[in-house]
Amino acid sequence: MSTPASVTWQKNPALAWREIDDETVIISPNDSVMHELNDTGSFLWKNIDGKKSAAELAELLAENYQVTPDMALSDTQALLEEMSSRKLVVTVAATGAVSP
Amino acid sequence: MNAPLATSGRGLQQQFELSIGCVPLRLQISDSQLLGAASRRYAAFTDVHEHPIAIALNDAALPEREPTDFGCEFEGAVLRAFSSGIRFDGVKNQYALDSLLRIFLSWKLLEYQGFLLHAATVIRNGKAYIFTGRSGAGKSTVATLSPQGSVLTDEISLLRREQAVWRAYGTPFWGEFKAAGSNSSAPVAGIFRLLQAAENRVVPIRPMAILRTLLPNVLFFSAEAEANRQLLEIISRAATELDGYNLSFRKNATFWEVLPA
Repeated sequence: MSTPASVTWQKNPALAWREIDDETVIISPNDSVMHELNDTGSFLWKNIDGKKSAAELAELLAENYQVTPDMALSDTQALLEEMSSRKLVVTVAATGAVSP
Repeated sequence: MNAPLATSGRGLQQQFELSIGCVPLRLQISDSQLLGAASRRYAAFTDVHEHPIAIALNDAALPEREPTDFGCEFEGAVLRAFSSGIRFDGVKNQYALDSLLRIFLSWKLLEYQGFLLHAATVIRNGKAYIFTGRSGAGKSTVATLSPQGSVLTDEISLLRREQAVWRAYGTPFWGEFKAAGSNSSAPVAGIFRLLQAAENRVVPIRPMAILRTLLPNVLFFSAEAEANRQLLEIISRAATELDGYNLSFRKNATFWEVLPA
């Protein structure tokens, strides 16, 4: 089930991450799993701040990479869903509460 | 200062001081058998430093109600780090003590900009060559093929950043050599990811690839987010400041010919 484009996202606060060479490594301490993001994934990761929705993130992606707005939104939503399934990001409800 | 010392009324407690990677430790042990085993096991690592970190072994009298900064259990033996002191409980033998020491060091080294790495380290021309890779990649083979006396460790290397220089230390932790590593250190020449091949070849790799090489081989046992952030920062720093290479090597000593001086 896809998340509405208006919902805002934030990084899971339990993670450790680091950017090197335009790529990002994320460590999940609970299970010692390492995740990697490529340059566009890293770009989105940097901009996930608890205030931006998928639509706003996609807009930034389209502005900075040569992709159409539709493609940017589709890619952004797909990445957010994927990261959400791995518990790397969580949605922020209108109240500001974080939900998995 | 490894002389026995009576320190409490609960029975004769003795202490043994050692230093691993210049992290000074004082083991306080009542069990004379365990003390004897530790004294023999860490005999090469008995440098004396000021202000050693005291570790009480199997001492039921220390306060337990304060929260732990770090805790870990290994096969029934329990490590607890309180702000008032460090406790190892349920330590029945040298094997358990060795395991808790590794776990404790992996956490304590965060303060020293350091970490433990599954890697063989060999000294050549005064520099430390770090060979790492998955299990079976050839760490012990590299150590076996290196000149006698040049191997700092064939199993667990300790890396620390000191005054902007990364140094590698030997540790007493056993690998296939079944012998303690050497209690010495040297500045790091490079990180070499071992790949067995028909030909010897060395290829420089970028910091991200070095990070990818290091992370799965780092010993770390804390699931706490902040500790993991500190660790990742230290490893990332090593990955960006140290030279790293993929080393394809044949299982003989000729691989040294392709290594950078």
